[in-house]
Amino acid sequence: MIERKTNWPLTIFLLIVSAPILIMYVWLFVDSISEINTDSIWPTEFTLRNWRFLVEEIPGHGSVWTALFNTTVFASSVVAIVVILSSTAGYALSRLKFPYRAQFLGMVLLLHSFPSVTLIISIFLMLRMIGLFDTLIGVILVKASLELPFGIWIMKGFYDTVPWEIEMAGVQDGASRFQVWYKLVLPQIMPGIAALSIFSFMAGWSEFVLPLILAPSAEMKLMSVYLAGLVNDDYLSDFGLFKAVGLFYIIPVMIFYFFTQDKLMNIYGGGTKG
Amino acid sequence: MERIRSYLPLWFMLPASVAVALFFLIPVFMTFVFSFTTMSSDTGILGSRYVVSDDTIRTLKGSGMDAALLEKLGSRIFTFDEAGLAALRKSNLKPAVVKEIAEKLSGKVYTSEKKLFNALKRLNNRPRSFKDRKSVSRSIVQTLKNREFKTAEEFRAGLASIGVEVAEDVFENLLDAANMSWKWTTSNYSELMASDFTGKILANTAFYVFFTLFFNVGFALLLALATFYMPSGQSKFFRAVWLIPRVSPSVIYIMLWRWLSFDNGFMSYVLGFFGVEPENWLNEYPWTFVIFANGFVGASMGMIIFASAVVAIPSDVLHAAEVDGAYKWQQIRRIILPLMAWPILFITTYQTLSLMTSFEYILLLTDGGPGFFTTEVWALNAYHTALSNYFGNLRYGFGATLAVMLVGVGIAMSLLYLRLFDFKKLVAEPQIEN
Repeated sequence: MIERKTNWPLTIFLLIVSAPILIMYVWLFVDSISEINTDSIWPTEFTLRNWRFLVEEIPGHGSVWTALFNTTVFASSVVAIVVILSSTAGYALSRLKFPYRAQFLGMVLLLHSFPSVTLIISIFLMLRMIGLFDTLIGVILVKASLELPFGIWIMKGFYDTVPWEIEMAGVQDGASRFQVWYKLVLPQIMPGIAALSIFSFMAGWSEFVLPLILAPSAEMKLMSVYLAGLVNDDYLSDFGLFKAVGLFYIIPVMIFYFFTQDKLMNIYGGGTKG
Repeated sequence: MERIRSYLPLWFMLPASVAVALFFLIPVFMTFVFSFTTMSSDTGILGSRYVVSDDTIRTLKGSGMDAALLEKLGSRIFTFDEAGLAALRKSNLKPAVVKEIAEKLSGKVYTSEKKLFNALKRLNNRPRSFKDRKSVSRSIVQTLKNREFKTAEEFRAGLASIGVEVAEDVFENLLDAANMSWKWTTSNYSELMASDFTGKILANTAFYVFFTLFFNVGFALLLALATFYMPSGQSKFFRAVWLIPRVSPSVIYIMLWRWLSFDNGFMSYVLGFFGVEPENWLNEYPWTFVIFANGFVGASMGMIIFASAVVAIPSDVLHAAEVDGAYKWQQIRRIILPLMAWPILFITTYQTLSLMTSFEYILLLTDGGPGFFTTEVWALNAYHTALSNYFGNLRYGFGATLAVMLVGVGIAMSLLYLRLFDFKKLVAEPQIEN
């Protein structure tokens, strides 16, 4: 094995270059529970004033609970669609024989790395044409569909690791391919379903551009659009408030992140963010 | 049983295929289609629109159309027809007034409000106040100007309602001039070529991509190598820290950069110790922050790929080098880096394409500003042109033309990604015959 001693100069150097990230996220927490002091960044006094948005509406921005509810519905629906459609299509691509299978696989792989944000203009126009513009359903369908190639790809990978013997045994015992899939194979890939669920939930939870453009109405504001609205409000310049809302919004993501770090490393390794 | 078996792949593939086709494949194709249209928020998206505006009248005047007719097009006309009377009944005028109007004035047409008011004054139950007379005129007024007609027939009826009857060829001319619907065109492409802004935005995009990439790939390599030589606790810590920006919702991550750089933020505070006046650093050095914000997010992808590539290097190769007494630096330069040429090339190309098409972080950080087009890149410009600008007219067609270039980049990117995989192995035939 390669010798791995602590090399202090290197560690300190890495600490310095990582400092912006560390500072930003430590102060996200600190500032959300302290009085903001304009001439110092150190917290002087503990306060819950920044969390007032939980009990009262910020004038002109609506209730955070509506946004939270919408975001939960949005993210969960995306998860449901992505997981169900990916686990069927992934299975077919991994295990079933059908015409044009190779072409389907090629398409999935091609779209998997396609930067879907470039399609936003034509998706906007198409939703206007079919009457799904400015509806939560429209954004859910779009987001789920854009996540699908990735989901199918991941699920296919998980199905590929299931031993063929399990299926052969099932088929020999007289079960149909559907029964084999449902009763024997699905239980084997539960970790895959869990990983994909978590990933699509986080993707849905964080999504900003799609709801901003495709559902701009106030009633269906998602957390991301709600927070962006606060930060861009020229009459508000209250970073204590912004950070409290931000912390409130990021909690589920951080919980998932700390429990699933290693899995995420693999998934983000093939990610499509800039 | 036999039937279920043979249709199973269809049922398993269909839902996902439909979703992907509808909201992924068709939009790719439609981007090209839209780029050949003049669609905008003025023309609308669906169906035709015919509107006579001041602009239309001016254009027609220029083309030498009969001045008296044009005068009429812009005029108002007051008609006590069925629709007018119905509107009167709904107004808050006294029923007696309405009744007498219906009896005596039904079918009458007035070409000016003054003539209408004179006629009203001759009634027994006349509307007393100016407000009431106005209410009558408002209820029955007919105009053509700025009214929207969906079909040529409606437009003809609209002309008739203000008493304009024209010959068929004149009508065709009017209809053509009033047609506000979108048209097929190739002018978007020629406009893109001719526009003064194209160069500026291309230069911005090149600047942004080059420096962010430099930052991205550089830090990714540095982190992957540094964490490789570190005790596992430390390396885990640093990798986890650098992944935080990527898992954070973009809105929060950018909000934190804004906090770091604003007048009362962290930078101003720290620089205050060195006697630097507090400033909004983001406005002062927008590019620096755009590149940093994108670079810190982007580095994590390279970091993960590079880290797994370093781990994959057989350790006896590295050992042999150590026995030879090679220094770490030499080990990196002579053994690790050459073996990582392919991942580095891949990440560089992939990130180049990816940065060209992304705009979310810039949108949130500077929105292309401060000022005019300072940090406006191609993808952001497409968004601004088609979906959000301060000029009011959203140019969907032209925006789609800008997006076509990005879709092209996206296709190149996907093909590159496809190259990375051993496709033959991927499509290996299933082992159970259906």
